[in-house]
Amino acid sequence: MTQLLINALIAGSFAALMASGLALVYGTLGVFNMALGQTALMGGYVTWWASTSLGLSFPIALLIGMVAAGFVTWLSFEFFVEPFFRRHRFLPLVTTIALSMILDGAILLLFEERPRSIQFLNAEPVTIAGATLSLEQIVLIICTLIFLSLTAWVLTATSLGRKIRATVLHAHAAESLGIPSGLLYRITFILSGVLAGLAGVYQGIDQNLTPVLGFSITIKAYAAVIAGGKGSLKGAVIAAYAIALLEQLVIGVPWFAGTYISAGYQSTVAMVVIIAFLLFRPQGLFGSTTRST
Amino acid sequence: MKKFLSTLVASGLLAACVTTPATDETIKIGYIGPLTGDAVAYGKDTLNGIMLKVEEINASGGIDGMMIELIAEDGRCNGADATSAAQKLINIDKVVAILGGQCSGESLAAIRVAEPAKVVMLSPLSSSPDLTLASDFFFRDYPSDALKSVATRTYIRDQGIKKVAIISENTDFAVAFRDALKKDLPVGTLVFDEVVGPGTKDFRTLMSRLKNTDFEVFFANGQSDAVIGAMMLQMRELGISKDAMSHEVAESATLGEIAKDAVEGMAIISVPTAGVGTPLESKFEKKYGAPQATIAFVAHAYDAMGVLAKAIDAVGTNGEAIRAWLYDMKSYDGVIGTFSFDENGDVLGIPFAHKTFVDGAIVTVNDIAVN
Repeated sequence: MTQLLINALIAGSFAALMASGLALVYGTLGVFNMALGQTALMGGYVTWWASTSLGLSFPIALLIGMVAAGFVTWLSFEFFVEPFFRRHRFLPLVTTIALSMILDGAILLLFEERPRSIQFLNAEPVTIAGATLSLEQIVLIICTLIFLSLTAWVLTATSLGRKIRATVLHAHAAESLGIPSGLLYRITFILSGVLAGLAGVYQGIDQNLTPVLGFSITIKAYAAVIAGGKGSLKGAVIAAYAIALLEQLVIGVPWFAGTYISAGYQSTVAMVVIIAFLLFRPQGLFGSTTRST
Repeated sequence: MKKFLSTLVASGLLAACVTTPATDETIKIGYIGPLTGDAVAYGKDTLNGIMLKVEEINASGGIDGMMIELIAEDGRCNGADATSAAQKLINIDKVVAILGGQCSGESLAAIRVAEPAKVVMLSPLSSSPDLTLASDFFFRDYPSDALKSVATRTYIRDQGIKKVAIISENTDFAVAFRDALKKDLPVGTLVFDEVVGPGTKDFRTLMSRLKNTDFEVFFANGQSDAVIGAMMLQMRELGISKDAMSHEVAESATLGEIAKDAVEGMAIISVPTAGVGTPLESKFEKKYGAPQATIAFVAHAYDAMGVLAKAIDAVGTNGEAIRAWLYDMKSYDGVIGTFSFDENGDVLGIPFAHKTFVDGAIVTVNDIAVN
């Protein structure tokens, strides 16, 4: 059982990084960015490239990867979101799907089809309370929590964060108070890209990177955002960990008279969560029911 | 493009001919394979392997004084293009036989055109089990995928393994392999049998369950080295140190790079690396450079042309006569080994190989005979 919790913590940290950025973007702009999974891969691949091909030290490679992920999201905002989202907030849904295909192709061209793994720490696994995990994973989980806390702190304790939250609550009211929404949109969008890029690096260290897994990552992150409630960072993070735990429980414990559910159903958990929340609690765990756009 | 390619190939052949043909007539042989697109590496290697053999035959005077003319068409690794390629080769060029297709999809489609025209197809590369009973006119010198599970069963039996745990990726290839293996192994051998969604990378919880299962060897049945790598890493992380095995997907240098110690000593049941270290390899590399995929593909193609030339030499250019000769052929000594064809045109005598990772590099342990 401890092992299941640890497994959920490992998988959940990855999902939480993706979902938190997405929650901010969905909250401030109300748009879907379907290319976020590919952005994560971009961040991971560029970090791999900088550390393996250029031979740079890991922190510098990570920095280059984050700059790349941020740059890609900034470009995608300028060319695929900004020209469209004011006309209709569902338009970017289509344009970013197109973008995700373009990025899929670009990743294949730049980094080839072979799987890549980022070398970080190579230490023997340790056993804590009957569960086994590696030093790498401990560092990854702790770093994720630090990054998420940092984001939460920026949101709650700084003036920038207050402006972002004001925009989430009511964009027009915030604008009428002189909050520059255009700039805030760009900041949150780029921030979501950087968080996704971190998730990509996480994937590259913990498992490996392959060019085709972008879309499934995006869907899982959306499940967390929908379950967490629109624009709620706290909700998205908690939901990300909860879905990860649910995914482990579904296949990890016997359900019906000692028989296990086939592992093939693990990937449907996120979908079921999306549908269940949309049906029974569309505002999510921490979303408010009053606001409408 | 097709015309351009065939002219290119034909002119290349003419330029390569050193002896003048005894007569103006040539023996036309068709080729179908992916010359453009994702699978182009298969096409390039097999076509070059065949051309090498054609040049050798022509240089030594051809067959009964007649030069071989190879006409290559692009099958693009799909049935539709392979069908039009076969129609063109058979109806316009009037080829004696076709070497191809390379992708199984090409072969399955093209044989529908070749069979009514009584033209023999001999594939150096197609491995789909569906081709075994596809046609009387279809032959191949590459082992069917169905034999892979036979080789795996043989290995498991020879090692005295009674309990196998398997995790399969839900793709055509991996699930077909698991089903075949399940059929071939004694009932109850698969003590842990899970199928995961395509591209799954998180196996931790399955591995936690596997840890509490009584098994002897773990079979990593993934469609890609990325998935097999994730399986093996997470299994070893949990401290499961039992033996592991896989099929030819694991025969990837990249897997050694990404999974390192986790795949060390893992048994890989794969087709033999025909052609490595043979004179053919050095001849080929001098002329065409390193193979795009592997020298094994070159060797299977080179031998396919060799065996076809021998058939034409013996019985002439009639399709039915060539077919009868190939079925009756006792054995052919080729680069890939000494082989013949069974009653379905599948190759006999090509053993599978047991390979493993030693210090991250793939080495062959021994051959596994399957028929």
